[in-house]
Amino acid sequence: MMLPLETLQLLGFGPGGWGLPLLSAAGVTVFAAILGFGLGSALGVIGASLKLSRHIFPRLLGQTYTTVVRGVPEILIIYLFYFGGSLWLTGIMNIGGFDGFYSLPGLATGVIAVGVVSGAYQTEAFRSAYLRLDRGQIEAGRSCGMSRGLLLRRIIVPQTLHFALPALGNIWQSALKETSLLSVIGLTELLRQTGIAAGSTHQPLLFFSVAAAAFFLIGRITGRLVRRVEDHMNKPWRR
Amino acid sequence: MDWLFIQDIFRQMLVGIPLTLELTVVSLLAGFVLAGLVQALVSSRHGIIRRPAAAYVELFRGTPLLLQIFLIYYGLGQIDLLRQSFLWTLLREPYWCAVLALTLNTSAYTAEIIRGAVQAVPPGEIEAARSCGMSGLLLRRRIVWPIAIRHGLPVYSSEVIQMVKATSLASIITLNEITGITYRLASDTYRVIEIFTVAGFIYLSLNFVVSLVFAVVERFLNGHLADRRT
Amino acid sequence: MTSDLQQAARANTAAVPAISVDGLHKHFGTHEVLKGIDFQAHDGEVVSILGSSGSGKSTFLRCLNLLEMPSAGRLRILGEEVGMKKVGSSLVIADQRQVDRLRTQVAMVFQNFCLWHHMTVLENLMEAPVHVQRRVRGEVRDEALAMLERVGLQDRAGFYPAQLSGGQQQRAAIARALVMRPRALLFDEPTSALDPELVGEVLKVMRDLASEGRTMLVVTHEMGFARDVSSRIVFLEQGTIAATGSPRQLFGGGVSERFDQFVSRFNG
Repeated sequence: MMLPLETLQLLGFGPGGWGLPLLSAAGVTVFAAILGFGLGSALGVIGASLKLSRHIFPRLLGQTYTTVVRGVPEILIIYLFYFGGSLWLTGIMNIGGFDGFYSLPGLATGVIAVGVVSGAYQTEAFRSAYLRLDRGQIEAGRSCGMSRGLLLRRIIVPQTLHFALPALGNIWQSALKETSLLSVIGLTELLRQTGIAAGSTHQPLLFFSVAAAAFFLIGRITGRLVRRVEDHMNKPWRR
Repeated sequence: MDWLFIQDIFRQMLVGIPLTLELTVVSLLAGFVLAGLVQALVSSRHGIIRRPAAAYVELFRGTPLLLQIFLIYYGLGQIDLLRQSFLWTLLREPYWCAVLALTLNTSAYTAEIIRGAVQAVPPGEIEAARSCGMSGLLLRRRIVWPIAIRHGLPVYSSEVIQMVKATSLASIITLNEITGITYRLASDTYRVIEIFTVAGFIYLSLNFVVSLVFAVVERFLNGHLADRRT
Repeated sequence: MTSDLQQAARANTAAVPAISVDGLHKHFGTHEVLKGIDFQAHDGEVVSILGSSGSGKSTFLRCLNLLEMPSAGRLRILGEEVGMKKVGSSLVIADQRQVDRLRTQVAMVFQNFCLWHHMTVLENLMEAPVHVQRRVRGEVRDEALAMLERVGLQDRAGFYPAQLSGGQQQRAAIARALVMRPRALLFDEPTSALDPELVGEVLKVMRDLASEGRTMLVVTHEMGFARDVSSRIVFLEQGTIAATGSPRQLFGGGVSERFDQFVSRFNG
């Protein structure tokens, strides 16, 4: 398909071209997604340990976390951290003698919100992966005198990760798409930047299509990377 | 805790529930029909039919819903042909834009769910039916679909929950469903804890009802497994 | 420990049994599985532990490696008493480090092999010696390769467990136990999970080990192995030792009526 010259200029890097802002916004999207997913992994490990605990209280805590977060809209959680965060920050600043209204940077709020959501899904991924471990694998380690830490590091973590990886790949894709919601709290990621470009050029169809293509491509490329890691980790399990 | 305030915002949010439910139900129904069609195309033997259908599924699953909403809400107006057609009376309304986006989105996911469910039917059971002389619609109606529904239902129940949650994005194009009201209340009063607790409670209740309904249906359908469950 | 010290220790303690158990009890909830077992295994002995299912023989073996915690009783490994303390009504390990150290001395071979799926055969063999016993990697590697050759798997070092047959996996598991240089080997029904045609290759490795003078405790249903290879039979029934003696005594018949019944079920 031939694009008119005018269109190419709009997307290019020259004067009047939106190429550079769009590229850096794509960078923000990927960056926020990576940080959010990473935070989610940490929360996922904690959540899974809570849910697998022998005691009722931590189990209940973990269960509440996953039920609530997976049961309410992501956008609501983003708003919660947005409003809650600014309220909290304003309170602190006012105590410190700085009057006025403050809000947390969009990136920080967004990463936390995406992380909390991703963490709830990752909790389930890690938990069910751990439950798929063969008890014999752990017993064999114990019978060789492995300490708790060694067992965790050498046997439990590698095998749990192997079982969790396909689910984690899907959760990564969700986290990537969720970063688009951060546009509503002012983070200049892909969707917001294309929205700005669409508004000032009156070309929404063009710019939102570009954003769609960018999200699709980023998802495809990272998905392929995940699959490569998966293939590598699957090697021992293949006959 | 200020109970009067909580009662007040609760009453205000209740007003948004019908719209949330309407968006969910309408797009789920339309999406399911569309998904059946898409899935039929995806399983076609001819690449020229199969490939566009598969691309449709991939594209809608691979891009954010909010972006799809924007494309439809802001983007379609740029197409002159559409502006001049009768469809424009619908598509210039945010409500129908939201319904269209949600419908297309869920149809892509649902098509995948149907595919997975049909694939999960054990080949042995199909062979057994063929050996009894079943084929065509009879085979599908009596053997394939009943088994596929039992496999697909649990997955579809989480798609329904995702859709209840997804309607919240309609608030961004000015619809006053639960999340829209929540946002307005939050930015007016900044009483974050009360407002988000009530909003979260409403969504959790809705989704609880959804999973309850599916649990009952699954139980009904899986009667033949009842003895095995201990 | 240097090998000099080890040898000296062995010479000094020739009379000290490798494994010694006094009054071992084990119950799961209210179900009593082991009801007071006294038992010793000396260096070079091959003890076959027989009994019908539910007699407690596997539980007994697992107690010796502390995979199951005894409910009461004393356990000594190489003359060293395993520290246990009472918490509430059950015993717990007093010193986890001591237990971890002693466990490598009574190496376990499992019914389901339990090779670690994510490691190659060679990595499986090197894991405990390198990371638990902290021996030099290069030496362990050489020893592991030699051990693989002994069990006939020299060409499988780089394979993953999933790529091996059951018999090969079990032979690798035996090699894994041997590389830890244990004082005794515990076999928990090592051939029960194998296809019949693969049992022979594993039994052959076990026979070779027995003829080398290895100390072995074998829970098994292989009557041929028990009769021909072991130096002693322990027959468990309902959590107690119902009969013990040399294979010749016991299989000769007339020592224990219950044992004769048990054997006749296998031969019948």
